[in-house]
Amino acid sequence: MKAIRSIFRLNFLNDLQYRSQALAGIATQFFFGFVFIMVYVAFYESGNTDKVPMPLTQLVSYLWLNQAFFSLIYIWTKEKDLISMIKNGNVAYELVRPINFYFKWYATMIAKRVSRVLLRFFPVLLIAYFLPKPFNLMLPSNLETFLIFLLSLVLSTFLVVAISMVLHMITFFTLNEKGVLEIFMSVSEILAGGTIPLVMFPTFLYKIAYVLPFRYTCDLPFRIYTGNISISNATPDIIGSFIWIIVVTLIGYLLTRKALKKAVIQGG
Amino acid sequence: MKLYFHAMRLHLKSLLEYKASFVFGLFSQVFVFFSYYFIILALFNKFDNIKGFTLYEVLLTFAIIQFGFSVNEIFARGIDQFDDLIVDGSFDRLLIRPQPIILQVLCTQIAWIRISRTVQAIIVLVIALVNLDIAWSIEKVLVLILMLLSSIAIFFGIFLLMASYCFVTVKGLEVRNVFTDGGKHMAQYPIGIFRKGFIFIFTYIIPYAFVNYYPILYFLGKSDNKFYMLSPIIVLLYLIIPFYAFKRGVKKYASTGS
Repeated sequence: MKAIRSIFRLNFLNDLQYRSQALAGIATQFFFGFVFIMVYVAFYESGNTDKVPMPLTQLVSYLWLNQAFFSLIYIWTKEKDLISMIKNGNVAYELVRPINFYFKWYATMIAKRVSRVLLRFFPVLLIAYFLPKPFNLMLPSNLETFLIFLLSLVLSTFLVVAISMVLHMITFFTLNEKGVLEIFMSVSEILAGGTIPLVMFPTFLYKIAYVLPFRYTCDLPFRIYTGNISISNATPDIIGSFIWIIVVTLIGYLLTRKALKKAVIQGG
Repeated sequence: MKLYFHAMRLHLKSLLEYKASFVFGLFSQVFVFFSYYFIILALFNKFDNIKGFTLYEVLLTFAIIQFGFSVNEIFARGIDQFDDLIVDGSFDRLLIRPQPIILQVLCTQIAWIRISRTVQAIIVLVIALVNLDIAWSIEKVLVLILMLLSSIAIFFGIFLLMASYCFVTVKGLEVRNVFTDGGKHMAQYPIGIFRKGFIFIFTYIIPYAFVNYYPILYFLGKSDNKFYMLSPIIVLLYLIIPFYAFKRGVKKYASTGS
């Protein structure tokens, strides 16, 4: 536990060094958020919105949240150190350490994501809140909604890191983080609701996305915040998140064990 | 020019050494690209128009901009990643050779792998054209060609301008993303759908609107203004600025060191 706490501290301090980079990141994110939203506003202003399952105010808030928390919940954030270690064999040094390999990197990834998002999310949300209508971020309708949103965001972070660990472990076998993983990345990004909320999907795709774990990482927390998923409907989804976290973590853990066994033989 | 063709062949050959990974790379590019137009397809599933533009009209503007961008991603990658050349000092090497500088920078990288994006852009373009009811004439063919050319030109110009900026800052800027990716994202839609300030910036400062908005109004018969038809030529004139900036940059260039 102490080791994990120091991993957190180290990464956070490290990230604080790059404040100007974070600022540039915020500006870019803000610009993109604005462009996305203008496209939607134009769609909504073009008349017929009967078929649309999500009102504009909710959708706009969804997009701002997505921009604000992007660095927390983006699935395929590459851990360059880990990947290069796997590729050049230095991973052997990691195994000598008296700390579980899987959980060390799990903690590192969470630490990095949290420190990155802590520097960025607040300015984006604050400015978004004060924007003129219809570009503004709305507040959640009540405290309860907000708390459940927070809970689901925390769960989403754990799930996203668990998925990311599985992806990184796959590079043990393929020794290449491109190709298949890039395909996987763009598909999972869509299925998570990273481009648009799931309710905007064509029906068949909506059904597919609903049985996969990705939607818990992005679509669920933000739709809870906007009220598009009511509190009573959110309960089974929260339980679902828990189950997926356990399942994916287990897969990642077993995969790591298998990968490391192989690596040891290779290292000779 | 002969030199460039030689470089093209070399890059292709080196790629084909690893056939399996080349094929895989092509394939993954298809998927990455797909996520771009997924949004458009999904939204037109729920809405029937965007400010009077239909699905195929938007796909047309989209295909034109993607076409120009992907062509640059293949051939102008050296310029896009120009800061690498400056940072590691290999730009000095280019300076002592008796060949045009820009040509040499272009020769450093040719990313054939991205050709699948160009092909996809062309496919989307054809799909859009087939489904649109266009009264073809010589002017319309001309305007289509002009749009495609100016789409290549605008991204090349921006890349070059940003490369010139590297002479001053050494490291590339994140602002670049706003001009290339951000501008590209906007220009995927008819620019007229955006708010006035944005339209102004992306018409007069970075002339995306002249690439595929005004010409498309003419092309689709939404306007008869002959000036709109010729507006992509303005983009070609805009190229003077980046070329001049780059030339000045090269003159002022001081190496980063050993």
